[in-house]
Amino acid sequence: MTVEETTPPGPAIDGAPRAVACRCRDTSVDLSFRGGSRRILDDVNLELLDGEFVSILGRSGSGKTTLLRVLGGLLEPGPGSLVQFHGESVVGPPEGVVFVFQNYAASLLPWRTISKNVALGLEGRVPRREMPSRIQEALGMVGLQDRAQDYPWQMSGGMQQRVQLARSLAMRPRGLLMDEPFGSLDAMTKASLQDQLQQVHQRTGTTIAFVTHDIDEAVFLSDRILILGGSPATVEHDIRVDLPRPRDQLATKELPEFLRLRRCVYNAIAAPGG
Amino acid sequence: MGVFRRVNGLGLLTMIVLLGLWEVLVRSGALDFQNLPAPSAVAARAQDLVASGELLVNLLHTVRVTLLGWLIASVVGVGLGLVLGLWRPAWRWSMASLEMLRAVPPISLVPLALFVFGFSVRTELTLIIYASSWPVLINTIEGVRTVEQELHDVARMLRLSQVKTLRKIVLPAALPSVVVGLQLSLSLALVLAVVAELVGNPSGLGNGLILAQLALRPEQVFVYVFTIGLLGIVLNAAFRQVAARAFGPAIRGQGGAP
Repeated sequence: MTVEETTPPGPAIDGAPRAVACRCRDTSVDLSFRGGSRRILDDVNLELLDGEFVSILGRSGSGKTTLLRVLGGLLEPGPGSLVQFHGESVVGPPEGVVFVFQNYAASLLPWRTISKNVALGLEGRVPRREMPSRIQEALGMVGLQDRAQDYPWQMSGGMQQRVQLARSLAMRPRGLLMDEPFGSLDAMTKASLQDQLQQVHQRTGTTIAFVTHDIDEAVFLSDRILILGGSPATVEHDIRVDLPRPRDQLATKELPEFLRLRRCVYNAIAAPGG
Repeated sequence: MGVFRRVNGLGLLTMIVLLGLWEVLVRSGALDFQNLPAPSAVAARAQDLVASGELLVNLLHTVRVTLLGWLIASVVGVGLGLVLGLWRPAWRWSMASLEMLRAVPPISLVPLALFVFGFSVRTELTLIIYASSWPVLINTIEGVRTVEQELHDVARMLRLSQVKTLRKIVLPAALPSVVVGLQLSLSLALVLAVVAELVGNPSGLGNGLILAQLALRPEQVFVYVFTIGLLGIVLNAAFRQVAARAFGPAIRGQGGAP
């Protein structure tokens, strides 16, 4: 796959601050359970810059997915919360934001071929004659252009997740919200998908919010790592990752800076309220 | 050609051996029930009934009524099932009544149908439609209500309209369940057709069966019993063929029926 050279969307170049893509102010979420409601997120404040890759980390049950669903407009935050995408209040899924779900098998339509799955969001929005090229482009970005006529259930888990990613990319999103997308994949598949995601990010400059519980993965991919903690959860740490790009599975992970960040993130998660 | 490929040689052999055993036992007098004919006698009688055209006339009647009743039941069941499955108020208002009605065995409604429609094909059709609507109805409701939450989330985040969500996600996701319902309904339609013909409508295989019994012709009773059994198998196999052809790619991978 050829990667077009674009300016790498790393940390903002000094003196040229980038626009804010995603903003949360005083955001709280209460979820109702049998026998009452419980506050999951409290007073969350965060900003994602345009083109930034931000990972959201935290222990399991810390509200990472809840936060992501709020950003994606799939979950309504509590009163007094402000959630914006490119300056517009988020009421329902905003235009230009696409969600990649953890459970890829349940998120693809088993009765549609791969190319029809990728077409799902385009149908009725993109002129019919443009469809094939949009689909091919998206499948090309995840290296699945040869599997267009197969069905999802004929593919491995890693491939299915790539199909879901392609379906999102076909929408040419400005924001990509990914909920532990590689959580249930084996280590090799995970590494190759991380590389692919990195390339997609370089090429498209999409803002990405990436929920994960894998520290190495977060450090490897991100420009910034937000750590949720507490109950109800809030953003406890905001860690900048200044590793050079493009990043390499071996070389990057051997850098002293990588190891330092890894330790730093680990300690931040391990020490509650730290 | 799947029907023929599925014929299993050993199973067929077992059947032939059992029929042979039955023949021998009856002829040797080892089995001495009153009115138990040997298979050869049944076969001879079957030939007569085919030659006279009586069997064919009865068969055609039952096939026609079963299929017609089943088709109407399918339309009613799918239509009502979609409304009840998708529109919560409708479900809340009617579910108690439906559960109540469903608990009544359809056969117990035979006397009622006879009161209203008399000994007629209308009685028969009414019973078939009523009984075989249930499996399609219940499976359609189940199908649309149990679409995975993820798929609803996918529809929302791709900003599909409600109509598009229904057409592109909910209906295809519910299809395997609906097809299972259709298949169950078809078997039930045949059962009800035979019951209605036994006691209500004086035509068809059920009527042939009861007349054979009244005329004290056990071989003829067996001819009708076997015919009804074969019809059940053929209808089921035909349904599978048609469903696989019509919905095959839409169902594979969803753990669906045929």
